[in-house]
Amino acid sequence: MSGKDRIEIFPSRMAQTIMKARLKGAQTGRNLLKKKSDALTLGFRQILKKIIETKMLMGEVMREAAFSLAEAKFMAGDFSTTIIQNVNKAQVKICAKKDNVAGVALPVFEHYHEGTDSYELAGLDRGGEQLAKLKRNYAKAVELLVELASLQTSFVTLDEAIKITNRRVNAIEHVIIPRIERTLAYIITELDEREREEFYRLKKIQEKKKILKEKSEKDLEQRRAAGEVMEPANLLAEEKDKDLLFE
Amino acid sequence: MLEGAEFYFNVDHGYLEGLVRGCKASLLTQQDYINLVQCETLEDVKIHLQTTDYGNFLANQTNPLTVSKIDTEMRKKLCREFEYFRNHSLEPLSTFFTYMTCSYMIDNVILLMNGALQKKSVKEILVKCHPLGRFTEMEAVNIAETPSDLFNAVLVETPLAPFFQDCMSENTLDELNIELLRNKLYKSYLEAFYKFCKSHGDVTAEIMCPILEFEADRRAFIITLNSFGTELSKDDRETLYPTCGKLYPEGLRLLAQAEDFDQMRRVADHYGVYKPLFDAVGDGSGGKTLEDVFYEREVQMNVLAFNRQFHYGVFYAYTKLKEQEMRNIVWIAECISQRHRAKINSYIPIL
Repeated sequence: MSGKDRIEIFPSRMAQTIMKARLKGAQTGRNLLKKKSDALTLGFRQILKKIIETKMLMGEVMREAAFSLAEAKFMAGDFSTTIIQNVNKAQVKICAKKDNVAGVALPVFEHYHEGTDSYELAGLDRGGEQLAKLKRNYAKAVELLVELASLQTSFVTLDEAIKITNRRVNAIEHVIIPRIERTLAYIITELDEREREEFYRLKKIQEKKKILKEKSEKDLEQRRAAGEVMEPANLLAEEKDKDLLFE
Repeated sequence: MLEGAEFYFNVDHGYLEGLVRGCKASLLTQQDYINLVQCETLEDVKIHLQTTDYGNFLANQTNPLTVSKIDTEMRKKLCREFEYFRNHSLEPLSTFFTYMTCSYMIDNVILLMNGALQKKSVKEILVKCHPLGRFTEMEAVNIAETPSDLFNAVLVETPLAPFFQDCMSENTLDELNIELLRNKLYKSYLEAFYKFCKSHGDVTAEIMCPILEFEADRRAFIITLNSFGTELSKDDRETLYPTCGKLYPEGLRLLAQAEDFDQMRRVADHYGVYKPLFDAVGDGSGGKTLEDVFYEREVQMNVLAFNRQFHYGVFYAYTKLKEQEMRNIVWIAECISQRHRAKINSYIPIL
């Protein structure tokens, strides 16, 4: 990536106007992209804060849920095999939606319940209360996990988007705009030089013309002095014109 | 009425009763529990358990020590002791032991039926079955295609057959919810066990019948409590109550109509034995739950069983107390390993 080149274009006034327009376009583009990058960074920071909060909460909830599992096992004995045997369909399902932040599409996961609780009667004879509490705790944990998953995917996507946008901003700022400016400067210098050449050429021609004129005047003087020159007829002088028939 | 049990009990069962009393003497005491509660890691727990009757039962375990390993090893020890008692017993003590294992068998059968219905591999389920509930036809379960086949070919030979006949006819086996089936089987089992103890008469009836009555009533209360807010209808609920308890028939009828905890409490207030239990229940979190209170009462009754001699109740009481001790140790171990010591003292103290 050399930093000294410019766009190859024939330097003319129109080229200059075109270049000026392009420069303006590049600058506007750069500002817009900077604004987008700022908005993305703002969203990014917010998501980061939410992730930290959710992760702390997650630690607490998982601890609580694991402990309620121990409590339920204490009351109801070992029910794990019964529960595992009875698994057939998922009760909590996730659907993915798209959320738009400053033009970037972020995936968002939403959970929804489907079907009834097939373990409603588990622990009917022992430990039913603990099992119900356990179910609630783990349901909360699952919801938190879904939220955390959404947040983390958005985090990663936003990170990518911010990197790309910043790269573009920097490219425009450090490559495109200087290149256009250099081209403009080149065009202007060329145009100036051409003007100077023109001027110089004009001056020279004028000098030459002056010399020629002086020479021809001198000639005329000499010839007039010798009497060889016939003056053309002066229409303004009041003399009778031979060619006119009727007066 | 005492029919002179002290004359001929020791001939057949004296050795075993002595043995079981010795085992009972080695249950963990309050001091042991205090030591366990003060442990910081599971390794400390293992060291403390080495000084008790458990000895080096965890000696062959590789690191890291988990709570489930402790649980499995303790259960193996209990099974070894139980099998020893059972193998050395004579009639009618052996029938008594068979009755005791029926409750584990019911759990295993339900597990196997479930697995067979869902076409899961039998080997995996066999590993998860409770070892005390082993019966010889267990591996044959996967031969049966439908539940009625299962019943005809497999279950007819087991001691559980009469309980199935009580519950239902063959063709409703797969429609019933598994939990309802389990509870119905357990109800038949309790009633049969109660009849057996009562017909045996003597000190055994005096000790075992109150225990079994309490078990029946406790099941009625707990089922009622846990069925609030579920789809279980009142009639279905009533079919699950065992009828061998004090609540039969009036209390059970009232319980079937109960809609919430207070109505249940009012039913319990009619019975002098259960009123103080319900009063001891705290409200919401922080206090004792009804199940805690019932567990404590069960432990009390089991400990009292050892005050009389020449009856079979000592074996039942010992097994139940040992199980409670296992649950206590697992609870304390879980609290330690999860570093959640707030409720570490919620175990049920035995001695």
